[in-house]
Amino acid sequence: MKVALSVWKDYMSTVFDAADNLLIVEIDEAKKQKRTLIKFNTPDILGRVLQLMDQKVNILICGAISRQFQSAIKSAGIEIYPFVRGPVDDVISAYQKGLINHAVFALPGCRKHGFAGNRQSNHRRRCGRP
Amino acid sequence: MFKQGRAMKSRQQKKLLPFSAGEQQEIILDSIADGVFTVDADWRITSFNRAAEKITGVAREEAVGQLCKDVLKADICEKSCCLRETMKTGEPIVDKKVYIINADGRRRTISISTALLQNNKGVLLGAVETFRDISIEEDLRKAIKAKYSFADIISKNHKMIRLFDILPDIAASASTILIEGESGTGKEMVARAIHNLSPRKKQPFVAVNCGALPDTLLESELFGYKAGAFTDAKKDKPGRFKMAENGTIFLDEIGDIPSSMQVKLLRVLQEKTYEPLGSTESVEHNVRIIAATNKNLEDLVRQGRFREDLFYRINVFKINLPPLRERMEDIPLLIEHFITRFNAIQKKSISGISSEAMSILMTHSYPGNIRELANIIERAFILCKTDFIEKKHLPEALLPGNTVRTDSHSNSLRDVQSSYLLDILKQNNWNRPQTARQLGIHKSTLYRKIKSLGIEPPL
Repeated sequence: MKVALSVWKDYMSTVFDAADNLLIVEIDEAKKQKRTLIKFNTPDILGRVLQLMDQKVNILICGAISRQFQSAIKSAGIEIYPFVRGPVDDVISAYQKGLINHAVFALPGCRKHGFAGNRQSNHRRRCGRP
Repeated sequence: MFKQGRAMKSRQQKKLLPFSAGEQQEIILDSIADGVFTVDADWRITSFNRAAEKITGVAREEAVGQLCKDVLKADICEKSCCLRETMKTGEPIVDKKVYIINADGRRRTISISTALLQNNKGVLLGAVETFRDISIEEDLRKAIKAKYSFADIISKNHKMIRLFDILPDIAASASTILIEGESGTGKEMVARAIHNLSPRKKQPFVAVNCGALPDTLLESELFGYKAGAFTDAKKDKPGRFKMAENGTIFLDEIGDIPSSMQVKLLRVLQEKTYEPLGSTESVEHNVRIIAATNKNLEDLVRQGRFREDLFYRINVFKINLPPLRERMEDIPLLIEHFITRFNAIQKKSISGISSEAMSILMTHSYPGNIRELANIIERAFILCKTDFIEKKHLPEALLPGNTVRTDSHSNSLRDVQSSYLLDILKQNNWNRPQTARQLGIHKSTLYRKIKSLGIEPPL
């Protein structure tokens, strides 16, 4: 399985639409990882979707992402975990443990009760989902 | 009516106790229509007003204490943060256009400004950012731009808009087209637009600059040659007509072709056939011809330098492209277009041009037309390290005192062109290819200009 993360240095990139780098993590059945860092060739939607498809990415974990990008990526059959923040290693580890939806990885404004500001919630609001 | 802030409500509940300084600040910030937030030296948000909540979709309670980039979610946060720039240089940034992703996943275009936050003793406390949602203005601007553009050609000049209206009809026909216009007016771009709108769009578009090829080479270049046609012709070589088969050939600078070639081209147009060099057999072609010239072909016909029968064959439909000095209203649109283009190519984020620089560009006469304007902006991009192209980023020749105005009553256009060209040549130490590049014209056009204006290079 291939998981792609849009990254900025050692952290998740805040805005996927403007991100330059994609970390591709191949996770095998023994949960061993092989990491490859690539650059996005283009800022446009179609180009980025094609690049994800070329890399045979199954899952995309990213920061803030616009609806247009989300729709295009989903229609390519790629599952998205959007509006995620934090150090890349922590995010990968949380994903492997099934904790990626924990509030600590949610960008502000994306908790379950978002605007009402329920800090106790461990669930993220469905931020930007079309 | 003014909507009461949270601090005001809290004060009423407390039976009109006096405002604290913090409450006063909150009320003031909430009454501002622009989004405002402040950060400390670690980029953590210390205050966040109501408009900022509305624009970003992030509640104040959630925003305060967070890194500003996580709350604002702007495209520039990681690579060219305005607050970081202001904290580093002490200089404010004004009205930089960026986009953010709000909590609903919508892209909003905002205009941001930043400034340092200091106490009354001048001690640095952090920085403040104000921002305005300009998505509606931006959408309107795009709609207006779309109205004034056609297949990459941008103009709101009435002659050009009329051209936009008829271009699809011109493209749909199979007729030969003649495009007249000075160098740099976009003749090839119009030819490409016609090809791309035509039923031949999936076939090749082949451009040939007839003026750039020596007379002896032009025939073999256009029609190709057979092996043995001349000493070095070891094997057959297809010409440009063959390469453009079923598509469009664009013959630029048609006014410069020699009379021997004019006869051959006439046959190509009349009989739809040509003969490769060294061949005894005619080849039929299915190529649409678009010719262009920066000269007045009718004048050349009158002077006996261009065949009248060829002129009438070419001049089935004539398009006149006005020079840039006759469509000055397009300069702001074109500047914006070039800024967007160079931002994308050079990965920069220049927001615009200062009004002073714009006025200078509006008074220039552009002998090199749109290509010259594009080169001026490209040059400014090299020098510009800030958000706006300023006067200092423009070529010296354009600045007041150095500017050559064509509206001078005492000089003829020829005198003005001559004087301007001389200035640019001197600036480039008489390096003609470099001068041609600066003017945005082909070097062969420059050579002809030098000759026709009688400019003598130094010995």
